[in-house]
Amino acid sequence: MIRRALALALIALAALPVVALAYTVNDVARQVRCPTCNTPLDVSSAPVALDMKHYIAEKRDAGWTQEEVIDGLVDEFGRGVLATPPKSGFDLIAWIVPALAVALGLAAIPIIARTWSRRTRTAEGPEAPPPSPEEARRLDEELRRRG
Amino acid sequence: MTVDEDTPPEGGGWDRRRTVGAIVGGVIVAGVLALLIIGLVNKDIGTSIQDALEEGRRPPAPDATLPVLLAADGIGPVGSEVTLSSLRGKVVVLNFWASWCQPCELEAPVLDAVAARYRGGPTQEVVVIGVDVQDLREEALAFARDNGVTTASLRDGEDDVKNAYEVPALPETFVIDPEGRIALKVAGQLTDPEQLTNAIEQLRVPEG
Repeated sequence: MIRRALALALIALAALPVVALAYTVNDVARQVRCPTCNTPLDVSSAPVALDMKHYIAEKRDAGWTQEEVIDGLVDEFGRGVLATPPKSGFDLIAWIVPALAVALGLAAIPIIARTWSRRTRTAEGPEAPPPSPEEARRLDEELRRRG
Repeated sequence: MTVDEDTPPEGGGWDRRRTVGAIVGGVIVAGVLALLIIGLVNKDIGTSIQDALEEGRRPPAPDATLPVLLAADGIGPVGSEVTLSSLRGKVVVLNFWASWCQPCELEAPVLDAVAARYRGGPTQEVVVIGVDVQDLREEALAFARDNGVTTASLRDGEDDVKNAYEVPALPETFVIDPEGRIALKVAGQLTDPEQLTNAIEQLRVPEG
């Protein structure tokens, strides 16, 4: 029993690097862009894009991880090759600003709703005060008289 | 029950909140607009060099420091950095190329012929330098090997120099005078050394 468990654990350990490297060229290509046409690399067929896809396949086959391949492309073409800006340094602004805008928009909803509700109430005018006892008595009389 | 008109309306702090909201909103809108403008300005490849040349002026050649990809004619060693302004006093032929660019392959012999013509002079007063752009290093080196390129080349991996020289497409070649001004620009493939040598000869003759 223990032997079998050990064997299974060894097989799982041996398979780990394969799992880590099991990525396609397009898995990396969609994370970078073609420098000549500014489209994601996975949908580009520009000459340099073909060279870059070949580079990705070659490095993958040489055992590079996705991150190492992307780092390699950044080394070749600069950070501008990344399809999305990195989540660090000045580039963090590109992530923070839209999130901040959405958060502020959500926060503004109750405030705007309250404003609209107040405007509607103002347009309808103030609620009428309840009738005084004298008015109530006259109203009852009138209703009785009319049957 | 009566409504007291002197009582402040419900939510009396509303005006202040609305002002703060308007300021925050304004700042966000201004920030987004600023980012858009910065992006558009950086992305734009201008035409000021072309305009100046068409008006008969020689615009200053943008300066840059780039790593050496191919060493030759006193430019090198490979991996060292060269600042273009350090070449003042020489006529510089600056050619933008990439390994995947077929016209670049076709014009490579023309550039080599121009370099060979002026090579070996006592002061090396004319130097032909390539600038490899939008390219993988290995592909660029293979291109140079396969096409027997003998000229020096720098590497502009991030397009900074390509953008500074307002190069929209490859290949493109500039002739820079000894004072560091652009005297000639050839957009597209060079087919004849004379496209460059005529200009080079004029620049080598002292003015006046």
